[in-house]
Order: sequence, then structure tokens, then C-alpha cells
Amino acid sequence: MMLWTVFIMPAFAVSKRLFLSLFLWLFIQTSANATVFSVNNPVVHPIGNAYVLTAQINYPLTPRVIEALQNGVPITFLQEFRLIDAMPILGSFWQWETTLWESTLSYELRYHALSEQYIVESLDTHEQQNFPSLSGALKALGDINALSLPPEYTEDTENLILEIRSGLDLNALPTPMRPGALISDKWQLTSPWVQAVWL
Amino acid sequence: MGSSSMAISLIKRLSSGTAPYFSLAFLLLVLAYLLSAATQDSSRLNDLFLVIFGIGVACLLLLVGILARSLFRLYRDFKKHEAGSRLTVRLVSLFVLLILVATSIVYGFSIHFLHRGINSWFDVKVEQALNDSLELSRTAFGIRMRTLLRQTRMMAGVLSELPDSELSHSLRDLTQLSGALELSIWARDGQPIASSIESPTIMVPNRPNDTIMHQLLQGEDYIGMDPSENDKLQLRAAVRIPQKSVLAEERILNVLFPINDHLSELGKTVQDAYSDYKELSYLRKPLITVFTLTLSLIVFLTILVSIWFAIWISRRIVEPLQELAQGTQAVASGNYNMQLTASGHDEIGFLVRSFNQMTQRLTHARNASQRSHRLLEQQTSYLTTVLGSLSSGVVTVDKRLYLHTANNASSKILGVKLQQRLESPLSKLAEINKNMKTFCEMIERCAVKGIAWEQQVELQKQNGNQTLICHGTELPNNSGWVIVFEDITTLLQAQRNAAWGEVARRLAHEIKNPLTPIQLSAERLQRKYAAIVPEEQVEVVDKLTNTIIQQVEAMKEMVNEFSEYARTPALQLQSYDIGQLIREVLAMYQSNPNHQFTLLNSPESVAVKIDVNRFRQVMHNLLKNAIEACEDAQLPVDIVISYHPLTHQQRRWLEISVRDYGPGIPFSIIDKLFEPYATTKHKGTGLGLAIVKKMIEEHGGDVWAENLDPEGTSIIIRLPLEESPS
Repeated sequence: MMLWTVFIMPAFAVSKRLFLSLFLWLFIQTSANATVFSVNNPVVHPIGNAYVLTAQINYPLTPRVIEALQNGVPITFLQEFRLIDAMPILGSFWQWETTLWESTLSYELRYHALSEQYIVESLDTHEQQNFPSLSGALKALGDINALSLPPEYTEDTENLILEIRSGLDLNALPTPMRPGALISDKWQLTSPWVQAVWL
Repeated sequence: MGSSSMAISLIKRLSSGTAPYFSLAFLLLVLAYLLSAATQDSSRLNDLFLVIFGIGVACLLLLVGILARSLFRLYRDFKKHEAGSRLTVRLVSLFVLLILVATSIVYGFSIHFLHRGINSWFDVKVEQALNDSLELSRTAFGIRMRTLLRQTRMMAGVLSELPDSELSHSLRDLTQLSGALELSIWARDGQPIASSIESPTIMVPNRPNDTIMHQLLQGEDYIGMDPSENDKLQLRAAVRIPQKSVLAEERILNVLFPINDHLSELGKTVQDAYSDYKELSYLRKPLITVFTLTLSLIVFLTILVSIWFAIWISRRIVEPLQELAQGTQAVASGNYNMQLTASGHDEIGFLVRSFNQMTQRLTHARNASQRSHRLLEQQTSYLTTVLGSLSSGVVTVDKRLYLHTANNASSKILGVKLQQRLESPLSKLAEINKNMKTFCEMIERCAVKGIAWEQQVELQKQNGNQTLICHGTELPNNSGWVIVFEDITTLLQAQRNAAWGEVARRLAHEIKNPLTPIQLSAERLQRKYAAIVPEEQVEVVDKLTNTIIQQVEAMKEMVNEFSEYARTPALQLQSYDIGQLIREVLAMYQSNPNHQFTLLNSPESVAVKIDVNRFRQVMHNLLKNAIEACEDAQLPVDIVISYHPLTHQQRRWLEISVRDYGPGIPFSIIDKLFEPYATTKHKGTGLGLAIVKKMIEEHGGDVWAENLDPEGTSIIIRLPLEESPS
């Protein structure tokens, strides 16, 4: 038993130090690399009996992602929406939250070398748009204009919260790239959840 | 503290025994299932990737743990110098060395071929050709695009001249004339103004996107390829329609031209090939990394498994040897029951079986020796019991004349506890007392004589002489002597008594017959010749005849006593209170005031089976004897009689003692006191005590005399008592 302890203790100490430094390194990495997607001005408007969402998502791509894109690797963007019913139990300190509705829109951005066009294709509707510049494509991609919310949940909007976030679907990358992308912060660009303003 | 110790115990339990192996097997099964699921449907790989990765890492960690445990045990055994650990370590080291060398070589070559293989997919020439073909395609399309742009500008010029009402009509005409797919006019803010679409299925015109609008508003016309949704290529031209007046709003003409199918197909092929090559080329580095990682992981796993297997196989090989070593140690320390589990049919198995046979035979041999030892012990104890229950004394002495064995009877006969003095020399035993000296000297004397001898020894005891007859026989192998001796004092006594009885009977018979005629003749002599003899002779005759008559009378009395002694009528036994009997006898002696008798009563009345008349005779004889002894010595007659029951040699006895304070018995006759004519008295036949002894012996009892200190005699009678029914 003694021998076991003696044997294991330095290992514990070493691994503890190692983990600490690893976490510290990751923290510094993530804080230094502040280029993540951001959701701006999400607003829910009433139109007739229904509600629609408008928002702008800023997609600042890292050079690593742009390089992959220009080398013919399609990049998949995910836009996630969720409608939450937040029932206040202790005022604003503690709320009982129920997710009423969730939706994900997937878009594929790829470069068409022959036409020198950036193609944005909705993977849900397979509609596609072509853009001669990447910035134009990203701007169009990030422009959420009048996304209608399911009317069955929006009859009473008092306690409703709509949250939006966007990120890259790393699992859609080609297999050889995936392990690298999954552990690299150059690919971890998902924005935090942002609550929309109800008008 | 508690939770941490619990956690440690949980870890210990999980890491001990076969739990890790089962966990590993389970994880590998799960991994295999997931991998097969992922390979069958590549889209599932995306979802399962992290799970598979996690399980793989868990398997690896578990394997590392198992290996670490095995290595630690090996190290611990080695440290403790456990049997077989050195050989195991040596084998494991050899195996590990082999594994490392082999896998390192394979790994090195694999990595090299992997890099070369993947890099050989890519070729500068191929890349250049692809780039050139792309450029060629662009150039080919570029010529057409410039023509179409000019055409579009002309159309815009035409349209600028027309009023709004004719626009729609003109657009249709222009569409037909130019062979375009779609013509549309857009306001600056992106609102459609007019459009003409060739395909009747499309209702809404294709709006130029904001980038194009922005470019147009900057004053640059736009011409470009537009990949459509069905992978076909088309060309888009967008130009500003010249303003008729400064105040008129800016308008944009957007035209979509088709590209013929063949060109479109060619363009698509070039685009796909270029794109695939570019992607593959880009993925080369991560691909090599992933392959290298995978290969490294496999090699690492192989090494781990191989090392573990090396330890396992080494232990398997060494285990029977280790068992053999332990078995040999056990046999060396005397445990012959060791049986090893026979393993395999190889040389080690043969060795183990031979070992088992050897221990079996050893066990049989030991059991046989134990059996014979037990038999010997049984025989010895049998012999000891037999010797112990013998009434004859048996002693053995060895060649050096040291006492070797002695039975109970020998100690009793010699009156010395010989069993406590075994292994003592006879010369030392001779120092104990005079009798032992006589006995030991006799043995020493006879031991030199020869093979067998017989010798009679007289010993002196407190209650008389003791005669022993000793037989000596030499033990086999000249290893000593066994001496068997018996106390024949009683036998000699009985022989003497028998002889005396015979003498008495003959005397009575032979002498009694002539006595009566002698007496009658003497009386007739007196009667007849008293008258005829002279007067002065009458007195002499009377005196002489009287003498004859008196002496004959005395002789008769003597002969009667002899006949009484010789007579052996059947006993008439009856239960009688001994106290009462003694009191009755004593009553007859109370008349003389000079005689003093004391009877010490027993606390209980003791009934004894006796022939009352004869026992009275016994008491009379004893009292008479005691009184006469005291009177002869002119001492006061003071006799004390006592009786009490006692237990001797597990039997109940009644002991009666008659004590006087007379002169005691001279030592010269003490052993012959109870024989006829053993008397110091002037009168009497000397048969009194002989008759007492005879009668007591007829009752199954015993009688002996002891001299008291300072003076006096005690005659002690022991009569057997019937066991009480309780």
C-alpha cells in the first residue's frame, strides 16, 4: 500500500500540474483569439398575428478557414434558434425554463473556381446564391431577414425568450481534417447564445 | 477523507482481479460495433466520431493500466526475490527487446512508405495541367462573355430610348432576338420594373445580388459565370441602362444567357477535377498526420499488447517451474503431501508428473514407517501392560549393568520405586538400602556367570524375612539381562504349614492311639499293685503311676491340640457384629482385677462373615498369648483392642489389632512367629498363634505381628469385608 502511494503520488502531482498548465494555455488561447462569430441586433417584430426575426450575424473567418475554403473545402454554417418559455419563480433570479421550439438552418459555403464565385447553398431548401466576393457571400449569409417564428408558440409572448447562435459544423468537414479542427481553436468559432429583443 | 478512501478502495477493487480485462473486452466490443456502424454509414461517423475517439482513448488507458499493473507486480516480485521472478524478468526483457526492435523497424518503414505514397499522388505537372485547363476554360468563356456584354450594353441602349409602357413588349422581343434565358430591369433599390423569362415555369426573375448592384452603382458593368442549382453554367450580364435625363431614376438591365450543354458539361468537368485535386492537395498534410497518428496508435497498441502478452506468456512458462521450486522447498522442509497441478505434455509437464510420483512414494514410505512405529508403540505398551500386571518383578539391566526397565511388581516386592531410578547403575541402586545391596550384588555376581541362572535371595523386612527367587536370562545380542523374581515367602510359609499339618496329623494319629492303653495300664497298675506292694512302696507306686497318668494326660492334651491344628472342618460362616463378639470374649477375662482391657469402639457397627466359634478361639488365643507374654515378663497386663474398616488395594477390609505393652517379640522368631513351636514361653504347646494364622487364612484374611516402639507388640488381623450393596 505504501509503495503504491509512493509510486502514485508524484504521478498525481505531475498530472495535476500538467492539467493546470493545459487549462491555462487553453484559456489564454481562447481569450487571445477573440475572433468568434457574433449575433448583432436580433429583433422580433410582430407582423400581423405572427412574429418574425431579423438579425445580422457577423462571420469573421480565420485565415485557416479561408484557406480551406479557397482550396475547395466546403464549409457548413449552422444557425440555431430556440424558443424558451421562461416562467419566473424567484423574479429574475431563478426561472423555470422550457424549450418550446428548436430549429437549425444549415448553409454550405463553397468556392467555384471556374466562375470565381462563392456559392451559398441552403442545405434545407437547396436554394443557392452566387457571390463574386467572399465578403458579399458572408454578408448575405449573416443576414437573417424576416424568419417567421412558429405561430402556435407565440400566442402569448410575455415569458418567451428567443435565442440565436451560429457556428461551423466541424463534423461536415472531410474526415482527415476533422480531428485537427475538433481540437484547434482556429475552427472553434461558434458564437454564444444571444437573446433577441421582442418589439 | 472517507470519500477518498472509498474511492481508493473502489479503484483497488476495479483494478484487481479480472475486472480490467472484462472492461477492456467490453470496450473493444463496443468500439468494434461503433466502427462497423460508422463504416457502413459514413454520415454516422460524424456523430460517433467523438464517442469512438473517447472509447479508443479509454481502451488505451485501460491497457496502459493493465500493463502498468503487470509490470508493477513483476517489479514487486523481483524486489521480494519471489521464486521464478528473475527468470520471468529475463524472459520479459528478452521479449520486449525483440518486440521493440521488430516494431520499430516496421514502424519506420511504414511511415516512410506512407509519406512517399501520399506524396506520390500529387504531381507538379498534373497540377499545372489542371490550372491551365481551368485558365483555358475561363479564357474560352471570357471571349463569349465579352461579346455578350457588348450585346447587353446595346440592348440597354435600345431600352433606354423606350417609354415604360413599351418595356415589357420590347423585353420579350429582345429575349427572342438575343437567345437569352431571362431579361429583367431593376430599379436602384432592387425593385423589379419589368422582366421577360423564356422558361414558362419560372415566374420570378433572378435578382442580381447586392454585390453586383453595388458594383453597378459604382459605375462598373458586371459579366460573370453563374453556376445554377442544377449544376449547369449560365452567364449573367448586368449593365446600367443609360439615363434619358438627370432626374430619371437609375435602372439596371440583368440578362442571363445560356451556355450550350456541351460547353457546360466540359466546364463542370474541369471545375470538378480542379476542385477535387485542390481539396485533396490541401488535405494531404492532415491526411498524413492522421495516417501517421493512426499507425503510431496501432504500433503503440501492438507494443502494449505484446508486452502484456510477453509478461503473461513468461509467467505461464515460469509458473510450473516456480511451483516445482516451491514443491522442492516443501519436500525439503518435510511436507511430502505436496502435489502439483500437472500442466501440458511437454518436458515441464513430465517434470511435474515425476515430482508428483516422487512425493507420492515419499508419502507412502513415510506412512509405512509411521505405521511400523505405531505398531512398535502398541507392542511396547502391550508389553508394559503385561509386565505391569504381572505379580512377578521383572527388571532388565543393560550390558553396563544399568537399570533399564522395571515393572510395578518389582518396585512393590523390593519396596523401592525403581521406575523413578531407571538408567541408574546397579552400584548406585545398591546404596539405597541393605536389601537393595543384597539384590544388586546378587545380580552383579550372577551376570558374569552365563546365559541363564537361578538364585534365591533372603531379604530382611520389618515384618520378617523375605525370600525371593530370581531367574536371570541374557537378552539377545548380548545386550543385557532380564531378571524375573518372585516373592516366595508366602509359598515357603504355606509349604511349612502344610508340612506341620502333616506332622500334627500323624502325631495325633500315631501317638493318640497308644496313649489310652498306657493311661489305662497305669491306672490298673495303681489299682492292682497298690494292695500287693509293701506299705513303704505304695507311695512310690502311686507317685510313679500318677506321673504316668498326668504325663499321658498332658500328652493327650498336646495331641488334641495337634489334631485341632491339623483339622480342617468346613467353615460355618454367618454375618456377625465383630464388636459384640469381641465384647463377649472379653467378658470371660474380666474376673482378674490385675488385667486391664480397653476396647476402642469403631464408630459404626461392623458386620463380618465369620465362623463365630472359631473366631472366638482366635480371640482367646490372642488374648491368652498377650496375657502370658506380659505375665512372663512380669509386666502389668494392659491390652488395647481396636477394630475399624479400611480400604486396601481397592478392597474393603476389617482390621483388628490387639496391642500389649509386653516385652515384644524377639527378632529371631518374628518371621516364624505364626509357625508351630515358635514360642519363648515355658509352658504351652506353641501352637496358639499357628492356629490363629490357620483360621484367619481360612477366612481369607491375613495376620501379622509388629513390634511397637518403645515396647509392646501389636498383632494385626485383616479380614475381608463384604462389599456393601450400596
